[in-house]
Amino acid sequence: MSTLVGARILVIDDEPQIHRFVRPALEAANYVVERADTGAEGLRLAASRAPDLVLLDLGLPDMDGHELLARVRGFSQVPVIVLSARDRESEKIAALDGGADDYVEKPFGVGELLARIRTALRHCRARDQVPEIVRFAGMEVDLALRQVRVAGVVVPLSRREWALLSLLAHNAGRVLTHRQLLTGVWGPAHVEDVQYLRVYIGQLRQKLGDAGRLLGTEPGVGYRMAEATEKPGANYVEPSSA
Amino acid sequence: MSQADDIRPDPDELLAAAISEARTGKLKIFLGAAPGVGKTYEMLVQARSRQAEGVDVVAGIIETHGRAETAAQIEHIPILPRRTIQYRGRGLEEFDLDAALARRPALLLVDELAHTNAPGSRHAKRWEDVAELLAAGLTIWATLNVQHLESLNDDVARITGVRPSETLPDRVLDLADEMEIIDLSPADLRQRLKDGKIYRADNASRALEGFFKEQNLAALREIALRRAAAHVDTHVRAWMRRSGVRGPFPASEYVLALIGLDDSAESVVRQAKRMADALHSRWAALHIERPADPEAAARTARHALALAAQLGADTEVRAIDGTNLVAALLDAARARNASHLVIGRGAAPAWRRLTGRRLAGQLLQRAPEFALHVVPAPNVTSRRRTPRQRAARPGWVPWVAVTAAVAIATCGGVAMGRMLPVEASNMIYLAIVVFAAVFWGTYPALYAAVTGLFAWDFFFVPPIYAITIESPQDLVTGLVFAAVAVLTGGLAGRTRAEASAARTRVESLRRIGAFSRRLGTPTTEPDLLSEIAHQGADLAVRAVVLTTQANELSLQAAQPAQAELDEGAWAAARWAAEHGEQTGQGTSTLPSANWRFFPLHTVREKLGVLGVQPDAELDEPRLQALEALSDQAAVALERVRLATESARAAAMQDTQVLRTALLASLSHDLRTPLTGIQGAAGTLRTAWDKISPATRTDLLESIELDVGRMARFLHNIADLTRLETGEIRPRIAPVLVAEIAEAAITRLPDPLHVATDIGAPLAVRADAALLEQSLFNVLDNAVKYAPGGSIVHVRAAAHRGEVAISVTDEGVGIPPDDLGHVFDSFFRVHRGDRTAAGTGLGLAIARGLVEAMGGRIEAQSPSPQAHRHGFPGTVITIHMPQSVGIPEV
Repeated sequence: MSTLVGARILVIDDEPQIHRFVRPALEAANYVVERADTGAEGLRLAASRAPDLVLLDLGLPDMDGHELLARVRGFSQVPVIVLSARDRESEKIAALDGGADDYVEKPFGVGELLARIRTALRHCRARDQVPEIVRFAGMEVDLALRQVRVAGVVVPLSRREWALLSLLAHNAGRVLTHRQLLTGVWGPAHVEDVQYLRVYIGQLRQKLGDAGRLLGTEPGVGYRMAEATEKPGANYVEPSSA
Repeated sequence: MSQADDIRPDPDELLAAAISEARTGKLKIFLGAAPGVGKTYEMLVQARSRQAEGVDVVAGIIETHGRAETAAQIEHIPILPRRTIQYRGRGLEEFDLDAALARRPALLLVDELAHTNAPGSRHAKRWEDVAELLAAGLTIWATLNVQHLESLNDDVARITGVRPSETLPDRVLDLADEMEIIDLSPADLRQRLKDGKIYRADNASRALEGFFKEQNLAALREIALRRAAAHVDTHVRAWMRRSGVRGPFPASEYVLALIGLDDSAESVVRQAKRMADALHSRWAALHIERPADPEAAARTARHALALAAQLGADTEVRAIDGTNLVAALLDAARARNASHLVIGRGAAPAWRRLTGRRLAGQLLQRAPEFALHVVPAPNVTSRRRTPRQRAARPGWVPWVAVTAAVAIATCGGVAMGRMLPVEASNMIYLAIVVFAAVFWGTYPALYAAVTGLFAWDFFFVPPIYAITIESPQDLVTGLVFAAVAVLTGGLAGRTRAEASAARTRVESLRRIGAFSRRLGTPTTEPDLLSEIAHQGADLAVRAVVLTTQANELSLQAAQPAQAELDEGAWAAARWAAEHGEQTGQGTSTLPSANWRFFPLHTVREKLGVLGVQPDAELDEPRLQALEALSDQAAVALERVRLATESARAAAMQDTQVLRTALLASLSHDLRTPLTGIQGAAGTLRTAWDKISPATRTDLLESIELDVGRMARFLHNIADLTRLETGEIRPRIAPVLVAEIAEAAITRLPDPLHVATDIGAPLAVRADAALLEQSLFNVLDNAVKYAPGGSIVHVRAAAHRGEVAISVTDEGVGIPPDDLGHVFDSFFRVHRGDRTAAGTGLGLAIARGLVEAMGGRIEAQSPSPQAHRHGFPGTVITIHMPQSVGIPEV
């Protein structure tokens, strides 16, 4: 699983119409597709075929999607993207908090689906590497120096603001739920204090100016930092400033 | 009681203060002792100085009475045009209330508060116009002469010999936030009069000798000053109570005016009001009603009670059936803890005077704890008193009949040659007296006694043909006859009166009972309104019911149906609806309207009005009945409206449930095909080159399939809507079940999984197209839930005039709790989020169609044919009436 190309994707959905277009779409993007029509079959294939990514429909007739997710997490850290409806926020949040990496709202476009799959696979690959600088259009988050630069100018941040921004930047392109952010920045005692988040996100957006729009809101679910333009590898060399 | 409680502000006073503070409009009264002291002049002078300060001053109505000084002051003040009211061919100019309301000046000047408006105006009196303007928030300055105050009416009449015809209730003074007394010494005033500044010279000299006599003016001036002082006093006391100041309040005095049946009733009321004012005490007016009271006297009492209410008294009417008036009076007085009783000297019957049974005397004797005030009988003939109506007496018939009976008895006695003894002939006359008493009451009985006595004496008692009696025996007989006749007549008369009063009371109770029964029956508003109109018309020839909707009054029911209201009646109706008072004919508000309106108001809201147009003036029992009717009608109307509202709320809730189900279904049933379509289209667009032609074709077919699913969903919704609005009208004819089943099965995507078992050529009475659709929906549902490869069975059998068409699947079955709901719209047996693709509408539509054709549909699970170890399965059966005739094929 060293390359993006050829990754094996397991699609678990009971609706044949979904399989009918997901398979050619993913195959055209050079992924290998495994199809499962029931939860039981999906669980079996997740164990036996070791997929690089799982697309999971939360509404399966034979098994609760959350239960399936929990059982997959019992033996694998494979990235899971759930398919869900816009009006089922609590379901999405539960899935994300339960270990899913991202979600796609039905009905979804093929382009969006492929973008989410790419992001999830990249994160998975970069999981063990500690990046030094995450770059965005007009903004750099320097995780080593613990500073953020907008258009080359350092923006002073408080400790909590930095903690929040670095967590989002670390997961650039992925949604983080309120609970994940609150636990990560304030600690598990504050998982209900969503208003903290609103305040700090607001402050961050203000301090970052134009770059503040990189901090996207997922209504009712959490926040998502835009995709990084470039992800530094271990031997990434910063261009000379001279 | 603790100290804190003692100094707590009086809640009533606080409320009164809040009301007057909440009212933004302020009233200032320029009070004068007599005409010509310069009230209007002073008001205009002050108004002009306000105008100079930039205040928007408008003269609402100013009477200059041709006085030059006054006319000079008004020149610079804008004047509101007067309204012309046509009355009996004359145009009367009046203050234009609506124009004032529309113009809304910062300060409005209104002259002559006591003025009586022309008939056809909205209010009978100008002060009522002002009250309305105040309520609307306008600030008003007005002028008033003290002689017009209702409570001073008697005093002024006694002092000046002239009873002011235009009066206004004393509480109008309470409305005033400010009062300015315009004082002029009597000498100066008379000088002004002599100078011709008040009236033209010829009138002036007459006035100097009459109303403007020096002592009259001095007395009026004193009254005016006292009144103004009392007003200040009231304000100070109100302030003291509001602020919780502990003051030397008079002990709790209570004045009770006892309203009798004589002419002094109104004087009693005014005296009581003055006493209550002087004592700063509360007061009430009490009238004791007895069955034998003559109607005219009862009306006088009612007028006095109305006056008392106007002057701010509590009023009470007690009805007693016996004769013990004094006990009833004292009872009421003690119940109210009264300290002062005010009664009229009145005109007691002569025999009562003789026996010393005057009410005042009895009260003095039996009620030592009360201060008793006896008011003199009025000595000035009232100009405004309506001519006293004589009590309703029997017509001429009784008198003629009694005369004839006496004549016949006499002739008969004479013709028989005086064969009867003298005593016996006497008995015949006594019989006539008793008859007269029983049939016609006291007076004809007395007449019979007198004529009988004379006839008997003249024709039968020796000496015959002379009105003299010789023998002492005959004298005794005559006296006994007279005594018996008078007693019998009186007793019979009273019994009659009591019986008739009892009848009236029973009648009115019966009516009220009938109202609640009749008004309780209708369940819809139009029915109820027409019933109310019906009941109203029973009492007063024509009746209409108007209801208020969105502040607009509209005619809802009329009896007879063509009854209509003219403009004046509409105005009266609107007033009644808005203010909750009776208006129109016989009331003080818009009395010129030829209808009378009773408000239909409940505690909660103003519902409308009941209007009646009687053929003659409404008498008391009919008035009471109409009042009872309007009360009960209001309650009944409110009840019907609440019932309708709650039914609507229930329906809304059903609709809400359905809407939620529809939204959930839309979300699920449209999202899935939409995802398929969007995904397939997106794949085709982005990856066209990278996928095989076969895959492209498959994706396109997939789009078609999903579009079909969405179309079917929308089609089902449309069908259901049409069913629910009753647009589907089945055409019933005999149809063959086998044909219908075959047609339905061939429409299924996979007809091979359906087995039919339909015996002999069974026919049902149904609409072929609708039955096919119903059966298709049931089959579609069965196929969807049946496990792959299993068979769905369609069977038909006749039973007791019906044909049962059953569809059996071998699917997962339906839990017992859900069996009752499978035919509900958007119902889906819960199996996690995702179920087989379906809308939850198919079975609901099937049921709707089957029921529209007069059949029924039912579900059964598990199926009786289920294998012991397989799925429980479901049977859905359509029952249709069997057709005896077989349709031609």
